[in-house]
Amino acid sequence: MSQPSVIVVGGGLGGLWATVRIADAGFTVTLLSLFEVKRSHSVCAQGGVNAVLDTKGQHDSVRQHIIDTIKGGEYLANQPPVKSMCEDAPGLIRTFERMGVTFSRTPEGLLDQRLFGGVKNKRTCFAGASTGQQLLYGVDQQVRRLESEGRVIKHEWWEFLSLLRDEAGVCRGIVAMDLRSLEVRAFMADAVVMATGGMGQLYAPKTTTSTNSTGAAASRCYQQGAWLANAEFFQFHPTAMIGHDKTRLMSEAARGEGGRIWVPRTPGDRRPPRTIPEVERFYFLEEFFPTYGNTVARDEAARAIWTVTQEMGLGLGGGDRVYLDLTHLDQAFISTRLGAILEIYRKFAGVDPVTEPMEIFPAAHYGMGGLWVDFERAADGGIANGSVRNHATNIPGLYACGECDYAYHGANRLGANSLLSASYSGRVAGESVVSYLKGFAGTRPGVREDLIADEVARQQGLNRAIQEGQGSECPYRIHQDLGALMTAKVGVVRANPQLESALSELRQLAERLDRVDFGAANPWAHQGLVFARQLRDMITLAKVVAQGALARDECRGAHYKPAFALPIPAGTFPGDPAFEAYRARWQENNHQWLKTTIAEHHDDGPRIHYQEVDLSLFPPTDPRDYR
Amino acid sequence: MTEQSIHLRVRRQDRPDSPSYWQEFKLPGHPDHNVVSLLMALREHPVTTTGERVDPVVWDHNCMEEVCGSCAMLINGVPRPSCSALVASLTQPIRLEPLPKFPVVRDLLVDRTRIDEGLKQVKAWVRIDGLWDIHEGAPRIGPNEWAANYLYSRCMSCGCCMAACPQFGPHSDFLGPAPLAQVRLMNAHPTGRYDARERLHAIMGDGGLSDCGQAQNCVRVCPKEIPLTTAIGELGRQTTVQMFKDLFGPS
Amino acid sequence: MSTSIDNPHFLLRRVHSLLGLIPVGAFLIFHLWENSQSRLGAEHYNEQVVAALKGMNYLPLLEIFVIALPLLFHAGYGLVISAQMRSELLRYRYPRNHLYWMQRISGIGILFFLLLHVGMTRIQGFWDPAVAEDLYTHMQALLSQPWLLGVYVVGLLLSVFHFANGLSSMAIAWGVTTSVRAQRLFGGFCVLFGLLLAALGLHGLMGFLR
Ligand SMILES: Cc1cc2nc3c(=O)[nH]c(=O)nc-3n(C[C@H](O)[C@H](O)[C@H](O)COP(=O)(O)OP(=O)(O)OC[C@H]3O[C@@H](n4cnc5c(N)ncnc54)[C@H](O)[C@@H]3O)c2cc1C
Ligand code: HEM
Ligand code: HEM
Ligand code: SF4
Ligand code: F3S
Ligand code: FES
Repeated sequence: MSQPSVIVVGGGLGGLWATVRIADAGFTVTLLSLFEVKRSHSVCAQGGVNAVLDTKGQHDSVRQHIIDTIKGGEYLANQPPVKSMCEDAPGLIRTFERMGVTFSRTPEGLLDQRLFGGVKNKRTCFAGASTGQQLLYGVDQQVRRLESEGRVIKHEWWEFLSLLRDEAGVCRGIVAMDLRSLEVRAFMADAVVMATGGMGQLYAPKTTTSTNSTGAAASRCYQQGAWLANAEFFQFHPTAMIGHDKTRLMSEAARGEGGRIWVPRTPGDRRPPRTIPEVERFYFLEEFFPTYGNTVARDEAARAIWTVTQEMGLGLGGGDRVYLDLTHLDQAFISTRLGAILEIYRKFAGVDPVTEPMEIFPAAHYGMGGLWVDFERAADGGIANGSVRNHATNIPGLYACGECDYAYHGANRLGANSLLSASYSGRVAGESVVSYLKGFAGTRPGVREDLIADEVARQQGLNRAIQEGQGSECPYRIHQDLGALMTAKVGVVRANPQLESALSELRQLAERLDRVDFGAANPWAHQGLVFARQLRDMITLAKVVAQGALARDECRGAHYKPAFALPIPAGTFPGDPAFEAYRARWQENNHQWLKTTIAEHHDDGPRIHYQEVDLSLFPPTDPRDYR
Repeated sequence: MTEQSIHLRVRRQDRPDSPSYWQEFKLPGHPDHNVVSLLMALREHPVTTTGERVDPVVWDHNCMEEVCGSCAMLINGVPRPSCSALVASLTQPIRLEPLPKFPVVRDLLVDRTRIDEGLKQVKAWVRIDGLWDIHEGAPRIGPNEWAANYLYSRCMSCGCCMAACPQFGPHSDFLGPAPLAQVRLMNAHPTGRYDARERLHAIMGDGGLSDCGQAQNCVRVCPKEIPLTTAIGELGRQTTVQMFKDLFGPS
Repeated sequence: MSTSIDNPHFLLRRVHSLLGLIPVGAFLIFHLWENSQSRLGAEHYNEQVVAALKGMNYLPLLEIFVIALPLLFHAGYGLVISAQMRSELLRYRYPRNHLYWMQRISGIGILFFLLLHVGMTRIQGFWDPAVAEDLYTHMQALLSQPWLLGVYVVGLLLSVFHFANGLSSMAIAWGVTTSVRAQRLFGGFCVLFGLLLAALGLHGLMGFLR
């Protein structure tokens, strides 16, 4: 084997960018995915992708994008990668454009940009209302081209099960399973890139993510020694329509284009919404956050909705719902701007949001945390181009990119920043892998055959254990219970006693999973077995989320523990003594908690330690203030 | 929201080469169920109307929002994505069958590799030099042209159009409408245009454009309302011109 | 590089399509116009129409190269095309799907009709000079048998339908009509055209019934 080869696990935006970048450099890539890569969760992203083009006369700047990202994440993101990502964003958009992505246009034929939550400038490129789909297809087409040239080998319908590490601990391949025949086999490579996406299914069905976004793959790496970072930070999207199977996202664009969120001022008011006069409507986001109004950042919006429904009892009909209203806007305008998302609402709720306000509630949307990855700081404050350290996990030879890594978003992600981070990180991970492969001096000894055989046998054993399992449990019901538990106790608002009980309930769920029984099920394309395996790893992951949340006694970004809240004293502003005292307390808190959470796997549960955040560009001097 | 009983008939098949058979289920459900959520409920308690405990139905799903294209199947005889098929709008018993024309893997799970192969055959991509920034602004595309192109870019490879096309199937090597529509899209792109000739030649070969017989079922069943027949017409025009170039033009 | 010339698939299909219009379609129009003159009586028909035609130079060549061979090719390749059809008429109850099916079925129907029809007219004329002498009377005798009249009416209508619907699908295949609107408009035109042609044909048939 002379020519080094690479395995990329996952064919979402992150994985596909990494694949193309590595194949372009002349190395063969083996690409694994649970299903055809173009069905990856990235297609769900509707709203858009951020890049500073400054074409809207607002003097937008890359510097402002960096600041917005850092502040949005409450300073928890390492700043050099954020800087480089924001700087490269316009170039990424231009590259997507070259691939043929159908970005929406201005009358002049240039890329159009819209406003998104958490920022004041129009900075979000979009392709109708299916941006993620368009971006993914753009790279998917490039991968298909490379595949037809023999430079990429796709293994769709294969699931990553575990890493193969040599005696020195270096990652040299993976073990994977054919989802049809359940054949388990080893794939050898000189580097492995994980791009397996998010873990929203921990909160099912109250999540906007796809049913395959389980986080199981990241959990498997973690169980083999990879670090997980910031797992407790989970973003809840404020505007999702509640459903039995899934809560479907109502894109932030609905607020960006002028949608208003409200509830009737009278609790339990059951009049049809359009008959309720303006004065009797409570536009609470506009009242709570006068500057940002309805486009306030996601976490603030989610908590405001939580406050209004849970604490003030103003939810529609007393329940977990509020209105997202577009009916005051011009119909033609919103149909062209929001056509596809309105169609989703019509399709799944059977009501037309052009004439009736939508009913929405927050749902688990994006895990900021994930596999820990490194970076190398460059002299200019960004990351060093082509460094082997960028996007490397703590396991040599193993890289991670896309939603399954933890970089870029800190404690909270800005809307439309993750399509950017998934693409950018995929490219950077690809470049690092290329440097890593070029750095090999001579050939390395092969991995010992018995190590490979043992791991394959171990994985086959796990399959057999499930097939032979006896009891009365059904994995799908355990999954429901997992989602309900996580939503109730590790959700929008958190408290230590509940987190503790969540941890013990998670242990019980894992025990229940030992008693799953499929009877004498047909082993061909046995989805139940596959799911039961994933579920075990999801529970392990959920423990990391809960443990991290328990350990972090503060409020930061999406992690909100009211018992430790540091609210800005009402009516005070910078310069006021009360505000300055608050600032001092805030800095004190930062001193203790402005650290990356790192979880390491141990048999008795995750062990947590903290790592300094690189704050070299914009030290935290001002608390986030959305008033 | 009242609970009511939902009656389901599912065509099942254990392996790609084994015969298919029907099973019936009755389960309680909310009227706002869709077919995927129904199958999800069923897999927690897979017992037939005759009281027999069976393997949960195998099928494909991911986004649950009708953008990934995974979940297409035949619902009451019509090919459509199951995640957007609201149970309240379906007549019962609801008949579920695998998407026809594609090889069955198991139950409602089919192998749609042929769509992918079609996309390769027609070179449905824009050839770019590499993923690096070339520091050049995007070519301008007028909003009208954009609007026309955008329609085609939303094809999610669900395969419904192909399942409904009387010209497509195991009996023929016709590419099917979805890959054809991508040729329309790629040929319209300012850079994609450079390879228009290759793509046209690809669809002028075996299994290409001329195997379409204008049945137009494709456009009727496409859940994304992609104007497939317009694409076919436009490709007809492009291939006509290409044919004359091939016959009489400089080579 | 594979061009459309190296691989005959495309050209064959386009030739099939083109032949459907010229000369086969054109012949059909002409033929029905010709036969419609049966209305003007046996004498006119035999002398002005048939004889005039027979007087043409190179008539056999024309018949072979402008009518027989194109028709045979169109029909033969049409059978090949029809073999690829897997219509599900009940599942997809859309008009266009039914037209698609009818186009193929009518083609096969025409084929049978033509065997009978040409056999009873032109071919029979080879060894039975009386037929060629007085085609009008011959046709009159044939058509006075109700079942044959029925066959002719069906054959005629199938041909006219096949031609008119063929025109509308041809317009899409060649890229004349692309938008849904254009296809619908031209479809309407083809309906009108078909009705006129059918009227012309029926008119001609009636001319023999006196
Ligand atoms: C509803 C919704 C809307 C969103 N909208 C926006 C938006 O407007 N703007 C924005 O910037 N971001 C948005 N996001 C976030 C964004 O879509 C995702 O963060 C991003 O697409 C993740 O891409 P990815 O490549 O990391 O992973 P994914 O696209 O999730 O891909 C994961 C891949 O990994 C594979 N995989 C997983 N496990 C395994 C395994 N064990 N073995 C083999 N393969 C495996 C899968 O097959 C898949 O190919 C949205 C998210 C949601 C849920
Ligand atoms: C309306 C009823 C029709 C009548 C009365 C009619 C009459 C005739 C007659 C009299 C001939 C013999 C001509 C000759 O021997 O010189 C003939 C030939 C022929 N007819 Fe018709 N026809 C009719 C419909 C059709 C239709 C619908 C078709 C289908 C295309 C058709 C195709 C032909 C062909 C191919 C020939 C042989 C032409 C030749 O080589 O001379 N006819 N027809
Ligand atoms: C009266 C004589 C006939 C005429 C005028 C005629 C005319 C036409 C025309 C104009 C078309 C449209 C071509 C296109 O869609 O590109 C067509 C299509 C077709 N014809 Fe004929 N035809 C005749 C006889 C036949 C016969 C005898 C057959 C044999 C079975 C046949 C089979 C077909 C088929 C299958 C098509 C469909 C092509 C497609 O839709 O792609 N035709 N015909
Ligand atoms: S064209 Fe429509 S029906 Fe066909 S694969 Fe694409 S989305 Fe599905
Ligand atoms: S259904 Fe098939 S025949 Fe043509 S118009 Fe559509 S591809
Ligand atoms: S699950 Fe994605 S289209 Fe239905």
